[in-house]
Amino acid sequence: MQPLIDIKGLSYSYEQGQPALQDINLTIYPGELVALVGQNGAGKTTLVKHCIGLLRPQTGRVTVCGQDAAKTRISHLARQVGFVFQNPDHQIFHDTVQKEVAFGLQNLGLPRDEIEKRVAAALRDVGLQHLAQVYPHRLSRGQRQRVALASVLAMQTRIIILDEPTTGQDSLERLQIMELVRDLNREGHTILFITHDMTLVARYARRVIVLCQGRVIADGSTRDVLSQTQLLAQTLLEPPQITLLANRLNGLLTPGSEVILTVDEMVEHLHKVNGGSIDGPCD
Amino acid sequence: MTAAAEPVVCFKRFSYRYPNTDFYALKDINLTLPKGSFIGFTGPTGAGKTTLIKSINGIIPHVEGGACSGQVLLKGCPTGNLSTAEIGRLVGTVLDDPEAQIICLDVEQELVFGLENYGVPPDEMEQRITTALSSVGISHLRHRSTRSLSGGQKQRLAIAAALALLPEVLVLDEPTSELDPLGTEEVFTVLKQLNVKHGITVLVAEQKTELLARHCDQLVILSQGEVALAGTPREVFKHKSIYHLGVALPQVTELALRLNGGRCHLPITLEEGIEFCRALVPGGGGKLCNRSLT
Repeated sequence: MQPLIDIKGLSYSYEQGQPALQDINLTIYPGELVALVGQNGAGKTTLVKHCIGLLRPQTGRVTVCGQDAAKTRISHLARQVGFVFQNPDHQIFHDTVQKEVAFGLQNLGLPRDEIEKRVAAALRDVGLQHLAQVYPHRLSRGQRQRVALASVLAMQTRIIILDEPTTGQDSLERLQIMELVRDLNREGHTILFITHDMTLVARYARRVIVLCQGRVIADGSTRDVLSQTQLLAQTLLEPPQITLLANRLNGLLTPGSEVILTVDEMVEHLHKVNGGSIDGPCD
Repeated sequence: MTAAAEPVVCFKRFSYRYPNTDFYALKDINLTLPKGSFIGFTGPTGAGKTTLIKSINGIIPHVEGGACSGQVLLKGCPTGNLSTAEIGRLVGTVLDDPEAQIICLDVEQELVFGLENYGVPPDEMEQRITTALSSVGISHLRHRSTRSLSGGQKQRLAIAAALALLPEVLVLDEPTSELDPLGTEEVFTVLKQLNVKHGITVLVAEQKTELLARHCDQLVILSQGEVALAGTPREVFKHKSIYHLGVALPQVTELALRLNGGRCHLPITLEEGIEFCRALVPGGGGKLCNRSLT
């Protein structure tokens, strides 16, 4: 299968001289749902900016949908890759939510009724249809984040990259956004999302890439990567609380040291260990 | 809340409406926040957390306009009768978007700015800057340009700038929203130290309930502008209505509630979760309960 994103030998340094990325080699295939994790300053945002042409590789090569990202115009890349910024205020500039979401579509030169249809659908997907005529900066941070997401959804790109899409969202909104991301993935979009929320990684990602000081230190299935507590600690990450709980109880609860990723899995596991009956402790 | 300590912040029947809106962002809030406490505010977006924070640091009513009724008292004095400068000496603020707060070109200047405004003598500045930077773990960034910092580093800088002013009360609006998990842990450890060692009252709006569970004396859950639940984290998590309030419980708490509906000493931290699970399993080393619970 032809990769959608192919990164070979990518290195990059900002002006301070400290390399932000060092010899990155990664391949993302169509249909993947990938989490990109790592501590603050690990290089996550720097890496994805190379996929949308906001940064050009100093060393190495980034290919997006078969095109060399260094030589392709940003406006062309934007038809292939949608990018939701970490801070929605870097992206929002129009005076109504409706116009904000329509902006990219107008740039694509789409007919007006198609634009209206796509804007309405995108706002419905993020639950903001009732706020279409509102001034975006009157909205809460969480709502502004969803405006930014809607404007990318409306573009209907093959690849969607989200830089911390759930920052500033409450627990229900976080799940709603991730359910939406999963639906988009099922409909065929390839998704790469940056996050610090390991609970969401455990629940939604199928593959996890771990960055540490500009290098890829792990790349594999979610279960494999989250089982490596020591490795995650190198880049100041921690598996979800339920995974830590299961790890600490290993030997006591297990036949087999299964990696537990969610509360559902833990409930099931405890039932299995106890032969189907759970006696709760009491005071 | 605790009757012993004197209240440092007190909401009395406080309601507030933003300009050009016809609904109340806060409705009839009554809260007494004791000096030296560590209190978490949580609830879904739009519940009024940020508005509550802005009512403590005087942005409401001094800057935002709008309409309010009732009172917010800082050490017994209504915020309406204090200037923002006077409030600023008492209350340090960390906003949810550090970029909205950082105004200087380099890290050191950012800290000096507040100190100069309050007329802190130069020979005292050095000590304050060093302490503030090291307590949030960014001493090495002192001479960096603020623009070159990552999101998490900016968040730490915003906290350091507030700390340098030695406030009695620190209000923080989701101060860890862009931090990695261990960075988040560090910030809360810093807040806890400031709280325990220096008696600073910490009032923090935060979504990460696993952290709040471990660090807060009291937890206040806001919903649609009202106080929906208040109490110790364990009391609050045990409450049945918690599920409808858009609050994610710590995973160990969720596990316990799923297994026996909370009819036990509810675990709220990892260590308590381990105890809880040991007690479930025959030979697990915990005390067994013979009642079979569904």
